[in-house]
Amino acid sequence: MKKIAVCYKWVLNDGDIRVNDKTRDLDFEKSKPQINEYDRNGLAVGVQLKEASGAELIGITCGVDTEPSAKDALSRGPDMVYYLNDPALAQADSAASSKVLAGMVRSLGDVDVVLCSECSSDDFAQQVGPRLGALLGYPVISYVSAVKLEGDALVMDRKLEEGTESVKVKAPVVVVVSPDVCEAPIPSVKQILGAKKKPANAMDLAGAGLGPDAVKPMVTVQSVKAPLTSRKAVNLLGDGESVADAVAKLVKQLSTDGLL
Amino acid sequence: MADYDAIVVGAGLSGSTAAYCMAKAGLSVLVLERGDAAGVKNVTGGRLYGHSLEKIIPGFASEAPVERKIVRERVTMMTEDSCFTADFHSASRFADPACASYSVLRAEFDAWLAGKAEEAGCDIVCPAHADELLEENGKITGVKAGDDELTAEVVLLADGVNSLLGQKAGLKKELSPHHVAVGAKEVIELPKGVINDRFGLNDGEGAANLFAGFASGGMVGGGFLYTNKESLCLGLVITVADMAKSSIRLPDLLEKFRDHPAVKPLVAGGKLVEYSAHLVPEGGLAMLPALSADNLLLLGDAAGFCMNLGYTVRGMDLAIASGQLAAETVVEAKGKGDFSNAALSGYKSKLEQSFVLKDMQTHKHAPDFIEHTPRMFKEYPALAADVFTQLFRVDGTPSKLMLKKALPLISKVGFLNLIKDGLKGTRAL
Repeated sequence: MKKIAVCYKWVLNDGDIRVNDKTRDLDFEKSKPQINEYDRNGLAVGVQLKEASGAELIGITCGVDTEPSAKDALSRGPDMVYYLNDPALAQADSAASSKVLAGMVRSLGDVDVVLCSECSSDDFAQQVGPRLGALLGYPVISYVSAVKLEGDALVMDRKLEEGTESVKVKAPVVVVVSPDVCEAPIPSVKQILGAKKKPANAMDLAGAGLGPDAVKPMVTVQSVKAPLTSRKAVNLLGDGESVADAVAKLVKQLSTDGLL
Repeated sequence: MADYDAIVVGAGLSGSTAAYCMAKAGLSVLVLERGDAAGVKNVTGGRLYGHSLEKIIPGFASEAPVERKIVRERVTMMTEDSCFTADFHSASRFADPACASYSVLRAEFDAWLAGKAEEAGCDIVCPAHADELLEENGKITGVKAGDDELTAEVVLLADGVNSLLGQKAGLKKELSPHHVAVGAKEVIELPKGVINDRFGLNDGEGAANLFAGFASGGMVGGGFLYTNKESLCLGLVITVADMAKSSIRLPDLLEKFRDHPAVKPLVAGGKLVEYSAHLVPEGGLAMLPALSADNLLLLGDAAGFCMNLGYTVRGMDLAIASGQLAAETVVEAKGKGDFSNAALSGYKSKLEQSFVLKDMQTHKHAPDFIEHTPRMFKEYPALAADVFTQLFRVDGTPSKLMLKKALPLISKVGFLNLIKDGLKGTRAL
């Protein structure tokens, strides 16, 4: 095993998204970009495999302005990062992102393992891993909750509804890890300082062997709105009312609503 | 050979200023900040007096994220149902950058200053928690952050009011409840034009308002209100010693303050977007720690550099100056190759020659005066309210001369008390 590529997405921190009460539009003004939390597990698995195999670990990402992500990604263990920026990726769907990432993997040459996480915290489409497998012609092992290197093969646990499946696969392979696959440690001070010394390389579409069509999405988002939670706000226990009366009213209300 | 010339713990205003100045002088500097970014753990009521930063980065206000330039100063005595306010407005008298002050929000402002330090060549790592000071043969050689040991010739502790590392190093004691206050504030969003109209301001101009009396529930402390570009900072600062004895919780007190008939219309229609709380060192010189030791310096809030005079509250300008003076001291020590306490003690002399310790010396009786004059927070606001009610209330009953109206009210508080407090106050403040 010589080369491992780990994909990560540079997303906005969803904890700081605010909702406009009137329009239900999302306000991203206070949100800062960060490495998709799910992908931090992929990076951590990459580090484990790198340590076990001595392979080179390469972080890859694409988006509109992903250069600032490199330092954070590199502090989490990769030897180098390749990032691809294109304004058209602002509207990227899973298909476009997968095409670009596949092109990047191909251009790196002879990648044995492509690591992905299940989803991104922004789109949550859960498609990039399987799509990468299809585009690269690699088998895809999904829902991976444990990875171990055995000779030149990977032995993995897949957590499924009926139980846990154990599979052994030889490279090349796309591995899609679940959040419980391992802890994603917070980078230490020395790791953060060391990240500055590692290479962060820009790649463009041509460098990834792609034309401008690759970034065209198949899905266009019409609008994004926050869900509306409506409450009936019925006051059952008014001033001076007895609890017994209130209970009777509650029972009546619930049965009217068809809940009893 | 150490990893760095200097390690700064804390990327607040004193830490980032020190880092910036040292890096500009060619030193290698590492800054460790425990927050996810500089400023996220910091709280200010709202106002930065710009003079000290102006000397380091002339014209800083044109590039830094300051909110509004304060042109309107208000001090209010408040009772449950009244307010007596002194209101001073002058755009021209506060125009000179050497004396200008600005409302700021720390998350933005500190991030900007830390960015300046990084541009100057510092390594800034956040989040990074400096857990321990490294020691070798009784000499401080750096800091331990998690499992990482990072070494430096000198460590600058700008780790805030509690400064646990300063305590561990024996430079300062645990905080006394009488020397520290607790502050809580809300950031309330309002459109720019609404703020301009409510406070009588033009674009870019701001108002500052301090409140004594009802705001703090009669306890030692007060309320504040600062205007930002598109928000207001409304909050309270109350001595921990009083707050600990109080039956009302700080958030509830803040809510009562916000609902006061004179405050409510100012914040009406606003959206609460942030709530924060922090400790404020208010002991003045009485809580001054040892400012240096071998290979160690104490900066900003960690050193207790803060002054609350009731009509002005200062801390950030002192922190910035202490950062600059600490940096100067370290650069000189580096030149001599001597980081012993003897070499670093020039820091204290520099502070004594600067406004930082001069002003704290001038107002050294202020903390004691404020703490031991409870009438400031109860009787005097009530007296003001009664006097002005007598003056302005016309109800058809036979009127009296002003003096006759005021005398019985003042005698309630006691003439001697009023004279005594007046004299003590003007001497201390």
